[in-house]
Amino acid sequence: MVKLRKSILAVLVAVFLLSGCSLPGLSGAPEDTIRIGTLNTSESQIMGEMIRLMIEHYTDLDVMMVKNLGTATVQHQAMLEEAVDITSTRYTGTDLTGALQMDPVKDPDEALAIVQREFQERYDQTWFDSYGFENTYAFTVSKELAAKYNLEKVSDLEPLADELRFGVDNHWMHREGDGYQGFIEAYGFEFPNIYPMQIGLVYQALANDEMDVVLAYSSDGRISAFDLVILEDDLRFFPPYDTSMVARNEILRQHPELKEILSKLAGTITTEKMQQLNYEADGKMREPVVVAREFLEENNYFEEGN
Amino acid sequence: MEILQDLLLYYTHNAWYVLEQFGRQFLMSAYGVLFGALVGIPVGIFIAHYKKLSPWVISLANVIQTIPSLAMLAVLMLVLGLGPNTVVFALFLYSLLPIIKNTYTGIHQVDPSMIEAGKGMGMTRFQILRMVELPLALSVIMAGLRTALVITIGIATIGTFIGAGGLGDIILRGTNASDGTVIILAGVIPTALMAVIADWFLGLLERKLAPGKKRNGLISIGHE
Repeated sequence: MVKLRKSILAVLVAVFLLSGCSLPGLSGAPEDTIRIGTLNTSESQIMGEMIRLMIEHYTDLDVMMVKNLGTATVQHQAMLEEAVDITSTRYTGTDLTGALQMDPVKDPDEALAIVQREFQERYDQTWFDSYGFENTYAFTVSKELAAKYNLEKVSDLEPLADELRFGVDNHWMHREGDGYQGFIEAYGFEFPNIYPMQIGLVYQALANDEMDVVLAYSSDGRISAFDLVILEDDLRFFPPYDTSMVARNEILRQHPELKEILSKLAGTITTEKMQQLNYEADGKMREPVVVAREFLEENNYFEEGN
Repeated sequence: MEILQDLLLYYTHNAWYVLEQFGRQFLMSAYGVLFGALVGIPVGIFIAHYKKLSPWVISLANVIQTIPSLAMLAVLMLVLGLGPNTVVFALFLYSLLPIIKNTYTGIHQVDPSMIEAGKGMGMTRFQILRMVELPLALSVIMAGLRTALVITIGIATIGTFIGAGGLGDIILRGTNASDGTVIILAGVIPTALMAVIADWFLGLLERKLAPGKKRNGLISIGHE
């Protein structure tokens, strides 16, 4: 009997694999399905949904979303193992030091050129041009404080550093390279009152006047929503984190029309725009797909010849 | 009150999306139970007639049931890859136990005198199965399908971890957001609702199929 059950299972597995895995209403045939991987952030999911909507609008292909990949490393592994075909948000600074194991590069264009070249050569993947926004660490203060001390760049904080309460991401404290130690070496001053916390909390803390300076993510929606001011990284301490999608060349070869469709999303979204889109999702509880659709419709992406 | 207002706001913003995920989740569960029924009911009938096998088969189904759902998905993912099909396969495995067990019990509890009567009338084994055993066991088998569907609707939420979509997507997004209570609730409520509605509907069907109801109560068979 156990033998019989085993054979039943084997038959079922075979049926699943051989039938091309298409269950009506759930999934299409694998050769016509594009799988998009996203991180668990709203930003990544909004961009992923934009890619999906574009593909669904301009082609007959099916799209499967694999949301909530944990980190950039998981995204990269998923691409290498061909578990996903496109990853929606890849950051130049992250993959330069992470996936490629190279030294950080301060110039944004140079960084982009390197990852584009290396991903082609090493992994047979196409790193698209940036969407136009970057998601880097950004020293952020309230509008009042900026006006009071005439703050414009990070160096302006030096004379005030002893009195300021500085809220930062837990991870940043111990990060190699562009972490706190690196910061002290580059800028030559410390913050005596430093409060590590979860990154999501720093915006509210700053808005509530519980912190004076925080290290925020530059594309977070709460920066514009709470009227916060980003200080310029005048010594270019943080590497560039320009955002692009990455696709496996295999699917671009199989479906040559994709490249043109996907390229329409490059160079179109500024960091301010991304802040707004993120705020729609995080602050106003709208699903990433709703935000993405609205953006594409408002900006006429669904009209031919655009 | 504030939570209710936020929930309402969430649903007005994302109604279309919630409906889509609701449909996905239901389809995954329904496919799982469907495949479970296609395999489980014949197996249940089989072991009811070859009773020596029943402890083995039921233990095997029991063992499957004890595997934590996340572990099951993780293991199946290695073989079948990401996506809804893997979830459907996991749900199929989970639906086996209630379906096999109830089919077995349903057939097993049929009064032997009924079967004797059938034999006396010259029925073949297949005719006894079709005309005596299955009709009398049908409501118990339905109860098994009902249990299976409710179980699978619940488990299908974790399909989100392997890219299958469904209402779990909403719940997981809520857990990732810095203030996501409302979003979590927005995913949990439809899931619970789906389980309740599915249970209610199949319950209705089960009562319709109960023995003795078919002939307007003129002849009451069964021995309840």
